[in-house]
Amino acid sequence: MAASRYRNRIELLQGTLDLLILQTLQWGPRHGYGISQAMRTVSSDVLQVDTGSLYPALHRLERQKYIRAEWTVSDRNQRTRVYELTAAGRRQLLEERSRWEQLSAAIGSILAHPAESAE
Amino acid sequence: MKLPVLRRRQDRELDDEVRSHLRLAIADRVERGETPEQAARAARREFGNVTVVKEVTREMWGWTAIEQLLQDVQYGWRALRKAPGFALVAIATFALGIGVNTAMFSVINAVMLRPLPFPRPERLVDVSGVDKRPEARIRSVSDSWPDFFDWRARARSFQHLSAYNPTAFTMMLDGRAVHVPGAVVSSDIFSTLGVQPAIGRAFRLDEERAGSDVAVISDTLWRSEFGAAAGIVGTTTSVNSRPFTIVGVMPPGFRYPISSPAPLIWITVAEHARGDDPMTTQRGAHFIKVLGRLRAGVPVAAAQAEMDAIAAAQEKEFPEDNAMRGIKVTPELERLVGDTRQPLLILLVAVGCVLLIACANLANLLLVRGASRGQEMALRLALGASRRRVIRQLLTESAVLSAAGTAVGLILAAWSVRLLVQIAPAGVRGLDELSIDGSVLAFTALVGLISGLAFGTLPAMAGSRTDPRRGFDADARATSGRGHGRLRSILAIAETAIGVMLLVGAGLLLRGFYRLSHTDPGFDPSRIVTLKFNVPESRYPYLKQIALYDQMLADLNGVPGLEATMAAPLPLGGSRFTISFEPPGAPTPQSRRPSSELGIVGPGYFREMHIPFIAGRDFMAADNDAAPRVVIVNQSFARQFLAAGDPIGQRIRPSMSTTEKDAPLREVVGVVADVKQRTLDEAGRPQYFIPYPQGLVTTLFLVMRTATPAAAVEQARQAIARRDPELAIYDVRTMDEIIAQSTGSARFQTLLLTLFAALALVLTAVGLYGVVACGVAQRTREFGIRLALGADPSRVLQLVLAQGLRMALIGVSVGLVAAAFATRLLGAALYGVGPLDPATFAAVVVTLLLVALMASFVPARRATRVDPIRALRAE
Repeated sequence: MAASRYRNRIELLQGTLDLLILQTLQWGPRHGYGISQAMRTVSSDVLQVDTGSLYPALHRLERQKYIRAEWTVSDRNQRTRVYELTAAGRRQLLEERSRWEQLSAAIGSILAHPAESAE
Repeated sequence: MKLPVLRRRQDRELDDEVRSHLRLAIADRVERGETPEQAARAARREFGNVTVVKEVTREMWGWTAIEQLLQDVQYGWRALRKAPGFALVAIATFALGIGVNTAMFSVINAVMLRPLPFPRPERLVDVSGVDKRPEARIRSVSDSWPDFFDWRARARSFQHLSAYNPTAFTMMLDGRAVHVPGAVVSSDIFSTLGVQPAIGRAFRLDEERAGSDVAVISDTLWRSEFGAAAGIVGTTTSVNSRPFTIVGVMPPGFRYPISSPAPLIWITVAEHARGDDPMTTQRGAHFIKVLGRLRAGVPVAAAQAEMDAIAAAQEKEFPEDNAMRGIKVTPELERLVGDTRQPLLILLVAVGCVLLIACANLANLLLVRGASRGQEMALRLALGASRRRVIRQLLTESAVLSAAGTAVGLILAAWSVRLLVQIAPAGVRGLDELSIDGSVLAFTALVGLISGLAFGTLPAMAGSRTDPRRGFDADARATSGRGHGRLRSILAIAETAIGVMLLVGAGLLLRGFYRLSHTDPGFDPSRIVTLKFNVPESRYPYLKQIALYDQMLADLNGVPGLEATMAAPLPLGGSRFTISFEPPGAPTPQSRRPSSELGIVGPGYFREMHIPFIAGRDFMAADNDAAPRVVIVNQSFARQFLAAGDPIGQRIRPSMSTTEKDAPLREVVGVVADVKQRTLDEAGRPQYFIPYPQGLVTTLFLVMRTATPAAAVEQARQAIARRDPELAIYDVRTMDEIIAQSTGSARFQTLLLTLFAALALVLTAVGLYGVVACGVAQRTREFGIRLALGADPSRVLQLVLAQGLRMALIGVSVGLVAAAFATRLLGAALYGVGPLDPATFAAVVVTLLLVALMASFVPARRATRVDPIRALRAE
């Protein structure tokens, strides 16, 4: 039961979450915890990503070869699994970004003309 | 097992990743001033349910479906290991079912399915003459060289049309006279088959002319007798006392005609074109077989239509020899399979029945097991496992069972195939090349899979229907058990019915075979030993050959305790001559003359074979070439063809001559009793006999009656060697062996069906036992109470026995009705036993009821010994 609750959330966020992960990794390799913290900080605490969504997304992106993972030792001398964009991931990021921009522009233009939809 | 290893590493890494996430989060919080305990708690809360996160993450790896399967298989395996007794019985039962099916299918595969070992074998056809006279018993007959030459010139349907005559030659190899199987062939036989010599060349068309003494030898002969010499082509070898030039060596494994023994040498029809009145010009001399290779795209029906037209034309052109003769085109494989198709299919049905019984038994076993696992299933369902998942799990368990059973079955089959080769009758194409090849394996895998599903589905459905609420009741075993009880009884009844069918079939065959092998052949086979020696025509023209036989018999009959004569064909020896004749009375044109089987025999033949005389006298040494022509007929012949009144003195004119220009009239001097000539089960068949000095048309067998066969054979060998050291003796057999060979196929079929029926009986007994025993186990408490209340143990015994017998009785009744229909299929294999033979049916009923009684008796005894206290406490 619990699993399916998470799964629904993933489906809602899918695409968007992938885009955000790829965008976050643009500035360099990060581990899972780092990615969630970065998203939270950059979005000024608005976006809090569930680990139950984040890790499946990371493992899926890894399987799709958009990111690759490596075990490294962090600055705190801890063994962590670090994710890094691949070339395919960079292309995917560009693509998803332009799609997102089109989508938000379209949504934006609809929202900018509320009267028209009422007529 | 590579997948689970990889999978486990992935699992460990995920654990590490989650752990490092938590450590990093805790470290952050501690840095912000929280106590380590607070930080740890908060980080965990923030992370959420670790197990679930891991689970949903794992799903991204794409392992889940495979994993569930592996899990099920592992679970099934473990469940079976926990119940070794059950697993052993189940696997053994299934292995028996699969084993006999695999073995039987390997026979069918080798004999009926495996394509002939030639390129494009589907285009090879047999072209045979057909006797269209209404009274002809044998429809398909041999052909003559002149007919074949006409067909080859006229027919357009064939890429190649060739003819062959399997025979044997005497070759001089290393100074020894050796009898070598071979064939006389038309020049393009190898092209027809699509196989060319590995060394040298095939025959040329001009080598069909008399005087071209060329030979192609087999790889076997090349290696064994010529030391695999590279320069073999162009050398000469002595065949039937004439030098032949070897022009080619066939590749290893090449075998045609497909007969046993394999031919070792081929020579051309030039052999039959020699002499003043050669076989190649006698249109009435039907003794060769014709093989054609259809042109690409020409169907058999088209070739048949063309040959029909040619046959019709020949009937008009050559009314003397070809009236009432047709031509039949048959795929070569079909011709080779011939009569063996029916018995093999019957046996296949029988092993199918054995497998059905095995499956019913397994379904029963699984049902019993399912009942005792009611609690486990209820627990799984209560814990949220879907019904589908439980069914899948139970099915996987039976799949593991069937896989194990199939593997063991294959081993059983491989072992029994070796046994089958030993008892297989001679002369059936492919039986000597039995093997478990790709198609047999595929068949076994398919049958194993289907039957695994068949016996697994029912119990799985039943098992998944356990009601979770009631599953935990103290009475769970009894409740779920009673629900399946009826199903189990039905299965036991069904297998009893099938078992009855098999037993009736086997019983009828056994009775038929007993009857067959105890048939009086009409002569006394004991102490008779026969052999042949090849007499090359080139050095033994007609009269010299007769002189040789006369001298041999004179020599051997001088030996005390030895009676010797000559004869061909031997009764039940597998070959026959049929020659037409003019019956007593007015002259009859050739096309309307009746024909009958003919025997060529030496003086004293009937006395030596203990064949009684009805009238007249035996042949004597005085019935020689110079004496008046005489003939002896059997009773059937006298009845069918001679005029009423005294048969002695009547005259017939067989269409055969030796030294005379025209066929002479021959006077009947004796009438003998009928003997079994072709098969032991035949009714009286007309036959007439001619003394060999007055009509020697074939190589004769030396027939000796002696108390010491080995010594007699040695004496014969010496007598022959004294006359001519170049004559090879071969085919040494006692008459008892010849008779046993004539019933080889019947023995094979009877033996196998009996074996299968015995197997079915054992499995049925196990099945009945299982159901009754399980019924007793479930009613332990009831029996305990009954006994505690003072019930007579014998009453309990009766109760249980009645349950077993009731099932058996219903099964037997159903089985008898089914058997009454099914045994009609056995038809000719019954040798005169009726398909509804009451004795057999009664014996089967008694046997099965006795077995059912024994199978129920063991659990019934257990029921009477139930300890009431223990029975009640167990709940």
